[in-house]
Amino acid sequence: MNDKQLQNFISYLIKNNHNVYSHREIGDEITIKKIETGKDFYLCPKRPLFSFKKLFLPPCQKMMVFKNNITTLNKSQNIKIVLLGLHFYDMKALTLINRVYRKDPHFQKKLRNAIIIGQSPVPAEMEDYQKFEKEVLEHLKFDIFLEAKSHGAQESFRIFTGSEDGQRLLDDFGYKDYENIEYVGPVPKKGLGPVNSMLIEKVRKSRGSKIWKELDKKCINCGKCSIVCPTCFCFKIKDEIKKDEILRTREWDSCFYEEFSEIAGGHKFLDTTEKRIYNWYDHKFVRIPEEYTMPGCVSCGRCTEVCPAGIDIRKNLKRIIEEN
Amino acid sequence: MKNPYGPIQAKIVNIEELSPINKLFTLQIKDNQIRNTFKFKHGQFFILSVPGFGEAPFGFCSSPTIKETFQVSVDKRGSLTSKLFELKKGCEVGIRGPYGNGFDQKKIKNKNLILVAGGCGLSPLRTIIQDANLHPEKFKNIQIFYGCRNPELLAFKKDYNKWNKNIEINLTVDTADETWKNNVGVVTDLLTSEKIKKDCVAILVGPPVMYKFVIQKLVELGLSDEDIYVSLERRMHCGIGICQHCALVNGNYVCTDGPLFSYAEIKDTPEGI
Repeated sequence: MNDKQLQNFISYLIKNNHNVYSHREIGDEITIKKIETGKDFYLCPKRPLFSFKKLFLPPCQKMMVFKNNITTLNKSQNIKIVLLGLHFYDMKALTLINRVYRKDPHFQKKLRNAIIIGQSPVPAEMEDYQKFEKEVLEHLKFDIFLEAKSHGAQESFRIFTGSEDGQRLLDDFGYKDYENIEYVGPVPKKGLGPVNSMLIEKVRKSRGSKIWKELDKKCINCGKCSIVCPTCFCFKIKDEIKKDEILRTREWDSCFYEEFSEIAGGHKFLDTTEKRIYNWYDHKFVRIPEEYTMPGCVSCGRCTEVCPAGIDIRKNLKRIIEEN
Repeated sequence: MKNPYGPIQAKIVNIEELSPINKLFTLQIKDNQIRNTFKFKHGQFFILSVPGFGEAPFGFCSSPTIKETFQVSVDKRGSLTSKLFELKKGCEVGIRGPYGNGFDQKKIKNKNLILVAGGCGLSPLRTIIQDANLHPEKFKNIQIFYGCRNPELLAFKKDYNKWNKNIEINLTVDTADETWKNNVGVVTDLLTSEKIKKDCVAILVGPPVMYKFVIQKLVELGLSDEDIYVSLERRMHCGIGICQHCALVNGNYVCTDGPLFSYAEIKDTPEGI
């Protein structure tokens, strides 16, 4: 598929009632925005600070409405969206969230109504990582994947499909030259692999060690890392009293906030920064890998970019590996 | 796909004031079909809500063998419980559940049972006590050790002399009044080798500070880590192992893997108790 065909395909999707979201570069900022025409699309190799997460798990989601003694469960509307140009690390994050939220009707409905189109161009620092990751397409949740291959001045793409929805859309558009990759489930045969298995042991062993005491002094508990992290999925449920109705909503929560672990009477189980930051790493590198046989961190580096205290997750992991 | 967050409507069919800060609510699920299929086990809990005042987890506190209604004992502590205190007979609340893995009764087959409770911790244990009172053939001897701040706050006072001879209660308070004839001091004082029956399983429900000392005492008295069960209290929002509020560092969720854990399961878990 060449550039022109791809643009036509995107215009075709927009014409067929899909809301197409794609990476846009506005000034220095990369965001995920709705696009109006296929011409607006290009394969952006840069990473948006805010991931796709908010499209599937809105920061504040209405779950039910209470009005005149009647409870109405909110059913997410059938809005068809296309998520265009997802990088492999965000595809991995989405695959994980899909497992965690497998019984959640709100998330599942949104995912069912979404077409995920992944792309191979990634930020330069991720290229090495990606080569190693290529073979894992069969373990990722996607509908169509665009692999860029340079073809003179004109960009061209090898097209993979990962679902029947992806195939149907391409067939209907009139493009046949694709290769289908059968989704074989999220977990590779080799399981977690040596690096992630080693991290489980190292992080667990590091508990109570010097690094966490240092981070206790450094981290300011702002929770920004958990907001930008594509795999942070914690939430709280709360009620909101409006003028003539009451809403029960689900909102993003962060384990860096003190009240996250507070129980009636005021006791907090995660009562120090040291405990909270360890808990975050423990969840990503110990508990998620053990519960889902998938890493809880997709190495996107967003948390490092956003941290006002200069906490660098790669440096920390390197230290944890060396010191334990 | 079934919506796991949708509450079931339940009617308050009775309210009893057990102490100045505690009320016992008897609830009945409104929908006949749901009511007839609603079952819970010892050790399970449910999420109770009042629109506008949010949700919170509560232990059941009546025997699971009672079918038409179930009870919950509520201490007035926050905004939801304060709202519950304002509600009258006939009002409706939302419930969802039951949640938790429940307590496998096989674990106490042919064994004596020690129930150690502190403060409002007697409430969730009442599912067992009431069950044993109604169906004595299902249990061996039950010894309750219950500590409270003062005599006025003791839960289910009126029940004690109605329990059958297999259920023995031992009381202690931090501060006595002039009518008090029982022990004054901590609940650990009551646990002695002369007192406790041999070959027993213990279940503890109370504040974390109580667990530390009671577990130590029970281990000294010869109970194995596997035979000591503790109920963990954590903040919960979903009840189904997603929201992470009740996650333990050992990878367990209090909502789905607990809230009752054997001491063996959690003794090495940081911040477990």
